[in-house]
Amino acid sequence: MARSMCWHCQSEVKGEYMCGQCVKVQPLSKDLDYFTCMRLPRLLDIDQEKLQETFYDLSRTFHPDFYSNKDDQEQIISLGNSALLNTAYRTLKDPIQRAEYLIRLEAGSVKEIRSNPPADLFDEILELQEDLEEYRSLSTDGDKARMEELRQKLNVNREALEQRQAQMESSLKKKFSEWDVLQRQSPQSTDAREEKDAVLKGMQEILSDKTYVRNIVNDLIETAS
Amino acid sequence: MAYSEKVIDHYNNPRNMGSFKKEEDGVGTGIVGAPECGDVMKLQIKVENDTIVDAKFKTFGCGSAIASSSLATEWLKGKTVEEAGKIKNTEIVQELNLPPVKIHCSVLAEDAIKSALNDYKKKAEESPKVESAASSS
Repeated sequence: MARSMCWHCQSEVKGEYMCGQCVKVQPLSKDLDYFTCMRLPRLLDIDQEKLQETFYDLSRTFHPDFYSNKDDQEQIISLGNSALLNTAYRTLKDPIQRAEYLIRLEAGSVKEIRSNPPADLFDEILELQEDLEEYRSLSTDGDKARMEELRQKLNVNREALEQRQAQMESSLKKKFSEWDVLQRQSPQSTDAREEKDAVLKGMQEILSDKTYVRNIVNDLIETAS
Repeated sequence: MAYSEKVIDHYNNPRNMGSFKKEEDGVGTGIVGAPECGDVMKLQIKVENDTIVDAKFKTFGCGSAIASSSLATEWLKGKTVEEAGKIKNTEIVQELNLPPVKIHCSVLAEDAIKSALNDYKKKAEESPKVESAASSS
């Protein structure tokens, strides 16, 4: 943690979370990223046990219950720190949220990582949505034979999309380990920047595609399975 | 979170829902998506003599995304290509009273307009003759 001045006694804070002079709790910096907060390296394959350990440890340090007898300012700080801690824990615990957070975090240093819209996927989705619309309209005043024909077609499409979801999951995992390899080899954020950005971009693309595919698969399941 | 009456109105009675044939002369198509929520929006314009004579949309997503694109097609009709390029998402936010979490829906609509305009311009450049024939028809 960067050294700063104690909000209470103005002495330099050398300890991590408490002032060494007056023992008052210090607010966590707004710039503190979740990985640093949880004492983890910026990797995607994280040590879940360590994450939980740190979370419990810091919760004990900051929990508002321990500050109910303290002054207002300390209570506010404990509340703010606990909130940040909870968000950090929840974000890093989930592998997808962790990756999305990492991309946001890293994109800050490389301006923006924005992927090209997947035009083919959009075309495919629009086509399927149109079939779904027809299917829905038939369910009220229906040509049953046409409905059955559509239902079968849509089910075939859904199965193909579900296979693609599985493929996307495994390519995403691959990207995660590619990131970790790069990050271990060159932990400085400026090192291997181009390679790192390429991996992040690939990750972002898969994550977005996954969202589009998930939506259409859900619509298919809901309407025509 | 409550939707504004205008959003609900556009959602229940969407204006200009539908589509044109992509290949048709003077038609510009924009298909965009919001990676955060997975909404997909298709917006098309039909241009004659540099003026947008018709616009259609199809949006698969939340009420705000549908309302934003429905409103966009209403605004596009009668505008010149240049005027259409000046439509800003903030105007859509204002008109529909969108809450902060739904601002990305208006951004999506602005992106769709831009993308449709670009597609139209690209097509017009590639086949200027076809364009003038379409204008005179």
